[in-house]
Order: sequence, then structure tokens, then C-alpha cells
Amino acid sequence: MSVAWVGSQPVPLTDAVRNAAKLLASSRCPVFTLDADVHGTRSAIALAERLGGAYDHAAGDVLAKEVALFTDHGGMFTMPGEARRRSSLIVIVGEIPVAHHELLQAWAGSQPDLGDKHKRTWFHIDGTETIEADKLARKLKAIPLGADGLSLPAVLGVLRAGLQGQRIAASLTNIDRFRKALTTAQFPVFVFSGTSGETAGLVMLQGLVADLNKTGRASSVFLPADDDAWGTALTSLWMTGFPPRTGFSNSLPSYDPGRWDIQRMIRDKEADLHVWMSTRGGETPPRGGKIPLISLSKTNSPTSGAKITISVGKAGIDHDGVSYSSRTGTFRAVQAAQPSELPSVSSIVGQLAQALPGRKALPC
Amino acid sequence: MLIRLTGGDVVDPVNAATAKRDVWIRDGLLVDAPKGATADETHDVSGCIVMAGAIDIHSHIGGGNVNTARLLLPEHHRAHQPRPANTPLSNAGWSTFQTGTLYAQMGFTTVVEPAMAPYTALHTHLELADIPIIDKATLAILGNDDFTLSLLRNGKSSAMLDDYVAWVIGSTRALGVKVINAGAAAAFKENVRSFSLDDTVPEYGVSSRKIVKSLQASVTRLGVPHPLHVHANNLGIAGSADTAAATIAATEGVPLHLAHLQFYGYGTEGKRKFSSEAARLAEAVNANPDVTIDIGQVMFGQTVTISSDVMRQYLAIGNASPKKTVILDGDGNGGGGIVPYRYKQDYYGSLQWAVGLELFLLITDPWRVYFTTDHPNGAPFTAYPELFELLMSSNARDAKSTELNATALGLTTLASVRREYTLEEIAIMTRAAPAKLLGLKDRGHLGAGAIADVAVYRKGRDIAKMFREAALVFKNGDLVVKNGKVTHYRWGKTLRLNPPPDKAMVKRMQAYHEERYGLSLDWFTFPDSAIQRPDPFAEVIS
Repeated sequence: MSVAWVGSQPVPLTDAVRNAAKLLASSRCPVFTLDADVHGTRSAIALAERLGGAYDHAAGDVLAKEVALFTDHGGMFTMPGEARRRSSLIVIVGEIPVAHHELLQAWAGSQPDLGDKHKRTWFHIDGTETIEADKLARKLKAIPLGADGLSLPAVLGVLRAGLQGQRIAASLTNIDRFRKALTTAQFPVFVFSGTSGETAGLVMLQGLVADLNKTGRASSVFLPADDDAWGTALTSLWMTGFPPRTGFSNSLPSYDPGRWDIQRMIRDKEADLHVWMSTRGGETPPRGGKIPLISLSKTNSPTSGAKITISVGKAGIDHDGVSYSSRTGTFRAVQAAQPSELPSVSSIVGQLAQALPGRKALPC
Repeated sequence: MLIRLTGGDVVDPVNAATAKRDVWIRDGLLVDAPKGATADETHDVSGCIVMAGAIDIHSHIGGGNVNTARLLLPEHHRAHQPRPANTPLSNAGWSTFQTGTLYAQMGFTTVVEPAMAPYTALHTHLELADIPIIDKATLAILGNDDFTLSLLRNGKSSAMLDDYVAWVIGSTRALGVKVINAGAAAAFKENVRSFSLDDTVPEYGVSSRKIVKSLQASVTRLGVPHPLHVHANNLGIAGSADTAAATIAATEGVPLHLAHLQFYGYGTEGKRKFSSEAARLAEAVNANPDVTIDIGQVMFGQTVTISSDVMRQYLAIGNASPKKTVILDGDGNGGGGIVPYRYKQDYYGSLQWAVGLELFLLITDPWRVYFTTDHPNGAPFTAYPELFELLMSSNARDAKSTELNATALGLTTLASVRREYTLEEIAIMTRAAPAKLLGLKDRGHLGAGAIADVAVYRKGRDIAKMFREAALVFKNGDLVVKNGKVTHYRWGKTLRLNPPPDKAMVKRMQAYHEERYGLSLDWFTFPDSAIQRPDPFAEVIS
């Protein structure tokens, strides 16, 4: 089975690496779309630094929204494990990605063993509803908390004002039940994600949590829209000091979510080479832009439109690795579930670096 | 490879070998002058001071909270980059790469991250492995987790506590144990807003004192070289000196390390009810040989406070500058708070600055006082050169004092203390004593058999410049810094104890995590191979 292609032609891996290195060496402004485990991400960022490129994650838009909550505001948070053990009142805020539904259902099937130890009660703050959000709310038997026609930030604003005893323009369904639940719960937790709404709504949510902490305790659990993307953000932070949408100008990293939005850079022809990494399989590079593409993706056929395609494995499936997990809210060592011959992103990136002029190894 | 450093003034208090003499390095180790041998490489270090590589026992350089600070404050990092020498403020954003580089350039070769949450140990070690040049170590946090508190509440045996502590040290690859405001993080989750040494954690009925004493005894029984590292209650508040004094008095013959004592050096005198109690605390430390302390010196400017003392950090939100913070109620011993802060030369900042210096100067034994700013809490570690100058020059202290709040300084003894640290004392405080405290026999001195971690400083009247830009630094015999700049990158190791786990405790941990978290134990542990560097850890034999 081929693992490397130049255009649509299968080639030995070494030929693909050599050709890809030539493209990288001649690029004026390469951009990198990341989607790998911690070690793949470390190597890719090191390569971007070597080449003076810029990088973002494949889920860059929603990740940027999540990052902005922290860079612009901050907040009060707790860990998934602590919420499971301690919180008898959990409020789902807007839409939570399907990938996390199993986790929330597992909480629903357990009883808090710390704090008030009451039977768990669920609420769901409505925004613009989707079928998946409705389905989750039904499974959790979550009590809706919202109002027709109000967006999520508006609902949160009204709820916050109402809980502060201010006069509110709209009435929320079940707000009295929610008030009552708050009086008995010692550690209510609001569960949110980047998919819950715009950053302004997430900031409003944090304002609500801060209000509740003036007299009692409350917190929030952040479940990233994409665990791998959040893992990339954390890795990027320690490697460069910055989250993704970072570029290397004059060899120093700089963070600018507008300037280094690489899809914009591709569209505006600021970039002249796109290195697209995708280890989850079944993904295709975003459309738009007509610059040369190097694909490092989990695939058994050449990526459409790519000058070079190299098939890579996924950490936890094809090889061991380290990934972020919302189950624990931190990194986890993952073992290969179905070990394969597919190389890891970090090994291919290492080979690319060695094939560049100077043949210098990467620090990662 | 045989390397000779010739003509330097060697400062080596451990071996009573402070004299003008040559230092020889063979294959990464220090050796006695070989008879008749010719060096492969000779460095003329005439006019220079030669010391062992420095060791920092308490600096928050990696892990979840440090990374969250980077996330919260990208603007600080950005501000730093174009003019690093002029902005010692922006360490919040520093990358792992810069951390290793900047430490090495000052002649530091080993740094301890003192607050590793056990459940995020893998994250911490991933970061530490990406810090170049220097060796690292960690202290695992205990004392706020349900398992420890339940053992104490239920009156379980000290042997069981020891097995648990050993399991945590081993599974997290730690070099020791730290307790942070013992019990307060657990109490805060139950809406307790202040917590002192004899207060109890509501759900467990266990006092902070009992937690500290139990862990102190356990660490001692296990033979962990580093005594329990204690972040006491009531950090930063007026009157905290009473808490520190009570903690010091409670050692009862068992060793204890009290972290960043400066932040507890406050009384309630004066118009602002915020005064210096440094002299009283220094006296208490001088009188109690069980106790070692580090300072946590405050220097002026912007920084960010990073602490797992979540209760204290929550209470400090109102002082955040800029106005954004992260407060995390973590699992067990994790969590904490990130609160950016600017130390101003006003009454409060001036008093804190003076309290730290008073402690440095009034604690008489340099083997029991350690040089820290609690990076980045009191100041970024890049402020160290200026701090060395303040300790070694009373004129420098006087000069700085003229810029500060006279009322605050008037409530301290600082002006009357004329002590100036000698180079020998600096070498003890930053090399010999930390190595001894951590149980690292292979470093902290320049005797034969030690690893060749060597810092060479060009003598000059400008003390800060001397310590900011080491003339030469060797790490394990590799020349890594020349004239204050890194010339060669290498990867250090993370030092750990590796106590064998008790099999029954492992089973207990498996059952506990499956029952309480619904996850198997392997979600919380990791193999060494997860770090993906060759030999990322080195064992310290206790």
C-alpha cells in the first residue's frame, strides 16, 4: 500500500519527503494547518519557526473564540472530575459538541460523593436550538431555561440580571425552579464550549458565575469544541508563549488572530505554500485559495489538489502519543489501539527538517 | 575531553576550597588536577569568579497554571520581545525555550518547579522536557485531595499515608512534596473564605495543622531528602506573621521548609495596619534549626501571580492588573489562580520589598535561607541580578530606598541593617545549600566527582551585570554560555525520586479512580516514553 504520492503518482516516502522539502525551502511564506497530538504539534511548530511560517489549527475559528475568552477576560473554572464528584446542579449552556455527550451522560448516571451529595439536577440554557442540543437535553432530563426569540447571550444577560434582583425585560421559563435549585446546591456548575455561542456570550456567562461567587460557590466546566485543537493551543503556549494564529516574523513568535488567520492568508495570497496536517482521517483541506499544498493526512489515497501527500497515523490508533482529553481536562498518554506502519506526524516533520538545506534536526 | 579553567577565583564553600585555583572537567564531571595531563580545551578565566552552577529551589516554570498565565496574558509576552533587557516584566508569557535560555545565561543550571498538581503531572513534565539546557525537578502537591483528607479523617495508619505519598511521588516523577495552604482549597469549595492553621476542612473535620504535621512526618519517614515544602495559610494578608510564626513553632524536631516567607512577614501596625514583622520571623527562624525558608522577594514592576492557593488568589481578584483573572477549582490538589499584578513603589510595595530584604539580611545562616522571588509571584527570575546587588551592597539598598515610600520603610529595620552578603555566602545560598536541601550530592560544589555544572562570572563593580551575563557556563561539562549568550543548546533531565509503589496501594488507587471518577487509573498516570525525549528523567538516590 502506498503511503506517499507526488500529485496522484505513488512514490517512495523518501522521494515525497525530498519533494516536499524542496517546496518548503523555496517558500516565502509557508502556513501550517495543525491537527495532531502533542508531539506532532511540537514538531510542526518547530518546523514553522525554522521556516518563518505561521500556524493555526484546523478548527481555528472556534478555537480562536475559546482562546479569546481567556486572552480578553478569564473566568472561574473547575475540572470535569470535580464537577462529576461535587456538583448536584449542572447547567448546560447552549450547544455542547456531540463528542462530549457521552461524558455528560456518564455524570448523569453517577451521584455526587462530595459537597452536598444531593441527587443531580440538570438545566439547559437555551440559545438557538439544534436537534443535537435538544436530544442531549432530553437524555439528561434537563429543565429548559430560556425565552422564545432570545439569543444565548441575551438569555444569559436576562438570567444574570434576574438573579441579581434587577428588573428584567423578558421572563425566562423555569427561572423560579432554577432559583430554588441554586438555594440548595453548594457547587453549581455551568458546562460550556466554544460552540455554546460567541465570545461575548461566554464572557456574560463568566459574569454570572462571578456574581454567584459573591455569596456562595459556583464554577464552570469548559469542554473544548475540539479536544485536539485545545491540546494544540496548550502546546503552542508553552512552545512560543502564544496560542495558535501565531507566526514567526524576524524569527520571533508573534500572536495575532487576524494577521495569522491562515485561511485568510491563503485567500488573500499572503501565503505561498500550505502544509495541511490531519490525523483524524476522512478530512479534506478547506476549499479556497490556489497555492501549493503539502498534505500530511491519514489517508489511503492522494489528497485532491495536493502537490505532495504523505499518509500519517493517528496517536492512540496507529501509534502511541499524548492527547488532550476533556475527560480529565488535561493531557493523557494514549497507546496505539491498532498499531500500524503509518508514520507519526512528528517523524515525518523530522524527516522534512533533515531534508531541508542545512540538514539541521528540530529540537522536538 | 579534558577541560581546564585556569586563573579564576574559585568560590567553593562545600569543599573549603575558596581560592585562586584551576578547575578541571573530564567527560562531564569535575576532577582533581590530573598529573602530567594536557587539557584539550583551556579557558583563561583570570579576573573571574568561578562557582558551581546555581540551583533555584522554587520557581514556577512549567505546568498547567503557568501555561494558563501565558494564555491569559499574551500582551505581556509581546511587549517583552523587542526589548528583553529593558522589560523584566513579561515572564508570564515566556516560552519553555526562553526559560532555559535565560536561566542558563545567569549561570543557573538546576531549577525546581515547586507546585506540580499530581493529576496534571504529564503536562508539567511535557513542558519541563522542552526547557533546554538546565536540569529540572518538581514537587508534587498534596494536602487538599479527598484521598489524603479521608485517610486523616478516618484515622488510617501512618503506613497507609506513607504508601500513598510514595505512590504520588513515584507516579508523578517528583523530587519531593509540597503542601499549599493545607486544606484551604478543599474548604473553599464549600464556601469557606478564610483558613488558618487550626481551622478544619468542613467535610473532613481535619485541621490544617494536622494535614501539615501528617505530611511532614510522612515525608520524613519515607526518607525523602527534601523536607515537606510548606506554603502556609494566610499568605499575603496583614497579620500573616502570626501564622508563619505558629507554623515555625510547630516543627517539633521534624524538618520543614517554609516557602516564600516574605509573603508572611506582615503585621498590623501603623496607620494602614500593614507593617513589617520580618525581624520577629527572622528571630524565629534563627532559633529553630528544623526550619529552612526561601524568601519570595518582591521587586517592582509588572508580573503575574500564579498559585495553587486558590482561596488566596480568589480573594486577590480585586487587585488584578490588568483586570482579568483565572480561578480554577481543580481536582484534589490541582487548580489555583492566575492574577496579574503590578508591584508599585507605593506604601505596600515598598514594605513588601523591605520585608524580603530584612529576612535575607537578618536570618544569619545562609545554609537555611534560599534565594527566590517565587517566580513570577514576587518578581520574574530575571530580576535576580538586581537582587544579588541589593544583598551584596548596602549602598545599593540605600540608593533604591530613596525612591520608595519613606513611611513604609520607616516601619522596617532595613536602614539599620548594614550586612552585605559575601561571595562565599552567595555560593552557599544559591548552590551548596539548595543541593543539600534537595539531596543532590552531585552538584552545588566544585569538588571532584560532581557533575561539571560551572558558572564563571567576570568580576566588576556592577554586581547586577556580573550575575546577569555569565562569562562562561558549563552544563554537565558542555560549554553552553559565552559572554552572557547561549552558544550551545542541549537537553537537561528532570530529577526525580523513584520509590517503588506498594502493590496494595496501586490496587487501592485503581479502585478509587474507577469508583470516584469513572475512569481507570491509566487516565491519570503515564509511562516515561510519553515524554518522547531520550532519558528525560534522572534518578536521585535518597
